[in-house]
Amino acid sequence: MAAKTKKTESNGRRAVIVGGVRTPFIRAFGALMKMDSIALGTAAVKGLLERFPVPWNEIDSLVWGGTMLPGGIAVNAGREIVFDVGLPMSVESYTVTRACTTSILSTTLAVSAIERGDADVVIAGGSDSTSNVDVRLPATLVHKAAPTVMSAKSTPSDYLRLLGKLNVKKDLVPKRPSIRERTTGELMGESAEKMAERNEISREAQDAFAYQSHTRAAAAIASGRFAKEMIPVTTPDGVTIHTDNIVRGDTTIEKLAKLKPAFAQNGTLTAGNSSSFTDGGAALLLMEEQKARALGFEPLAAFRAWSYDAVDPWDQLLVGPAISMPRAAMKAGMTGDDIELWDIHEAFAAQVLSVVKMLGNDTFCRERLGLEKAFKKLAPEEINAHGGSVALGHPFAATGARLITTMANELKDTGKATALIGVCAGGALSSGLVMERV
Amino acid sequence: MSDVLLKIGKNNVARQMVKNLGLPVSLPQALKRAEGSWEERPLADLRVDAGHGPGSALAPVLARCLCAAGAYTHVAGTPEQFAFYTEHGHAWGRIAKEAKEDQAPEGCAPNALVFDATGMQSPADLVSMYRFFHARVRSLAACGRILVIGTTPSEIADVPASAAAQALEGFVRSVGKEIGKKGATANLVWVSPGAEDRLPPVVRFFLSRRPVFVSGQNLTLTTRVPAPENPSDVRPLDGKLALVTGAARGIGKETAKTLALEGAKVICMDRPGEEEPTALLAKEIQGTALSCDVTAPDAGEVIARHVKEHGGSLAVIIHNAGVTRDKMLVNMDEARWSSALQINLLSVLSLTDQLLPLMPKDGRIVCLSSIAGIAGNVGQTNYAASKAGIIGFVRALAPKAAEKGICVNAVAPGFIETQMTAAIPFTTREAGRRLSSLAQGGLPQDVAQVVCFLATPQASGVTGATLRICGQSLIGA
Repeated sequence: MAAKTKKTESNGRRAVIVGGVRTPFIRAFGALMKMDSIALGTAAVKGLLERFPVPWNEIDSLVWGGTMLPGGIAVNAGREIVFDVGLPMSVESYTVTRACTTSILSTTLAVSAIERGDADVVIAGGSDSTSNVDVRLPATLVHKAAPTVMSAKSTPSDYLRLLGKLNVKKDLVPKRPSIRERTTGELMGESAEKMAERNEISREAQDAFAYQSHTRAAAAIASGRFAKEMIPVTTPDGVTIHTDNIVRGDTTIEKLAKLKPAFAQNGTLTAGNSSSFTDGGAALLLMEEQKARALGFEPLAAFRAWSYDAVDPWDQLLVGPAISMPRAAMKAGMTGDDIELWDIHEAFAAQVLSVVKMLGNDTFCRERLGLEKAFKKLAPEEINAHGGSVALGHPFAATGARLITTMANELKDTGKATALIGVCAGGALSSGLVMERV
Repeated sequence: MSDVLLKIGKNNVARQMVKNLGLPVSLPQALKRAEGSWEERPLADLRVDAGHGPGSALAPVLARCLCAAGAYTHVAGTPEQFAFYTEHGHAWGRIAKEAKEDQAPEGCAPNALVFDATGMQSPADLVSMYRFFHARVRSLAACGRILVIGTTPSEIADVPASAAAQALEGFVRSVGKEIGKKGATANLVWVSPGAEDRLPPVVRFFLSRRPVFVSGQNLTLTTRVPAPENPSDVRPLDGKLALVTGAARGIGKETAKTLALEGAKVICMDRPGEEEPTALLAKEIQGTALSCDVTAPDAGEVIARHVKEHGGSLAVIIHNAGVTRDKMLVNMDEARWSSALQINLLSVLSLTDQLLPLMPKDGRIVCLSSIAGIAGNVGQTNYAASKAGIIGFVRALAPKAAEKGICVNAVAPGFIETQMTAAIPFTTREAGRRLSSLAQGGLPQDVAQVVCFLATPQASGVTGATLRICGQSLIGA
């Protein structure tokens, strides 16, 4: 509990990741259905603290992220997780949201706090339960009914009059929740379909990438590589879930090629080469480097630089990482050739391949980034060593923390020096993050 | 009074009925107008067919400009020219398709046809332009755009090449008349040697849904005024101070609003007696109100003082204040003559003189001329003289102002639906409306959009010009 009285000037402090875990990623309305975002977050944080036993009174803060939070008005999910885990009441907490980059944001906020001297030990992460999206009553019903229902003076005849005013189709049928962009009205997949067309990403290339994602993820599960970052979760029904259920190690290019387009009649995006609605949570333990060593932890990696950006949603909604990744590297004083590990969030195979194509496009990098030539010409095989969201699933606010954990472990395991993470997000947002081995 | 034919024309059933009954009425096409401030991608997802004539050199400039503006391009040209579109198409996610010069590409109707005629060596080369448009003009979408780009004829020493460049004007004016009933427009840009970098903003603007009432016109781009470094594609007037005279109503009001929408802090000036509407407008657009008569002896000083109170640098002047004092010449007393000349022309001269020292090096002056100044009008000897004088004024001042980096231009509106035109008797009004390629009146915002474009740093290629905003009116053409 050193946080509140720290001096705030820059003093050579460096934040490191000591460890990270995630719950199994389970397809929406599956085994984790009865756990909302807070329950999933609680499970992830509990698992983290079991795996990396830091004295609880050393924890200063919990920075959480969520995009589909339960319970209505401005729920501070992070604080609820503090209570549900049973952490000391003094653990300060807040909750952020930035679509699919949410837990990149919660992590860099925690890193900033540590490096600024505001905290020594912070838990960061995020969780989302697509199974528990609020199904709302139509606003028209609420607006029509409120004057009668809220008034103490309403008589039965007022209620009858109200019933007469209701329109079955408009007022009584709940709206199906969907991830349509509020501004463009497009489904995420429709935007990605447009990107596939705009960047000439073929169905074959998308399926080949999806195949790579599934086989690599399946291998990482089979080899035990993911065991070090996955914790089992026991559901309210008493069932314990040990592993992901979306990955299909037995898929083939032929099987993927048979799937029907999901977003457009003659489209190229299918359920096989897109990420699915997923339930899950992920948590990271972040500390000031000296503090980590003093507590007996061996740091995995540090955070060199990051960049948050935004592009035009009507143009290419999910192309942002092609801006953010080079910018983060530039802030770190690096070029594309300095990066050894690449991990790009796979919302859709078409979107990843579009980003990879732009990272390797001279004109794009000159016009949009002011670089002399392409940032890095990459083959799709060179990224995402252990697969990605297409195979694993994508609980929106947990994905960033999953990528950070996997890269932190990968830096440690391979002895390589630098990793670059890129994540696209709704609202045409993006982030890039450079991690380095400690 | 509102335009009944235009209203009927918006109704598809009525349109079909008029056609099927063979009524001798042609219904004008309702124009599609952009709303809000300049977009990062004004041509987002529009289809633009680009053609390159023999020896033309603008492929790199046009390819970047069109792809970055969000257009899907179909390109007729050499493989080398197409390569520029491929390069930029990939970078901007708008992959270009190759097309044949004399064959319209399959699929939907193009929203714009752009032809680069800069390399024409002789009038014989013009056949390439004929083939390009002949194959495509039928499929041009409603409210589409035609833009022909040539080399300034006076800058070409070679006689056949100069004749070919001049020929473009006749072509564009004629095709404008043929496509006007679709609500489509045709314009010509002559690029002087070295001014190629001034072209992209002009293309972005002229293909957009802003200059909807400009057709059959030509613009010459020169290097007389230096181009600004990295002008912003959106909110180009951010942080700039602009003066609009006669801002209380009509075109002046709409201009002030449009400038404010692009970020300018507008000094809304109008004469004493108009304080209330001027103040309301200033409040609405977060500008300032200035009550001052343009003919007052101390008007220059009053404005200068006001400008100094608000930063001291006046980036944009819009000379909009104007009056009509109509009478047949035989009946016109000298007071009417002098009043019109004083307000419409002499005050513009003297105010510009006094305010020029307050302008920064990318300053812009736009004056309101009128089609009456070009064509003349019964009962308007005074008004037409003053408005023709404006055309001479901008032409003469341009070279002097260019030394300071300032552009001076004028616009000449044709029939615009305002209080002034609503007061014209029905038959005369109806003639004014219909006797143009677009067969309808323009709106004050159509003028404001063009004035605003000329006020931006992007318009550095245009100076000394008078641009007509008349829907290609037959009068004075």
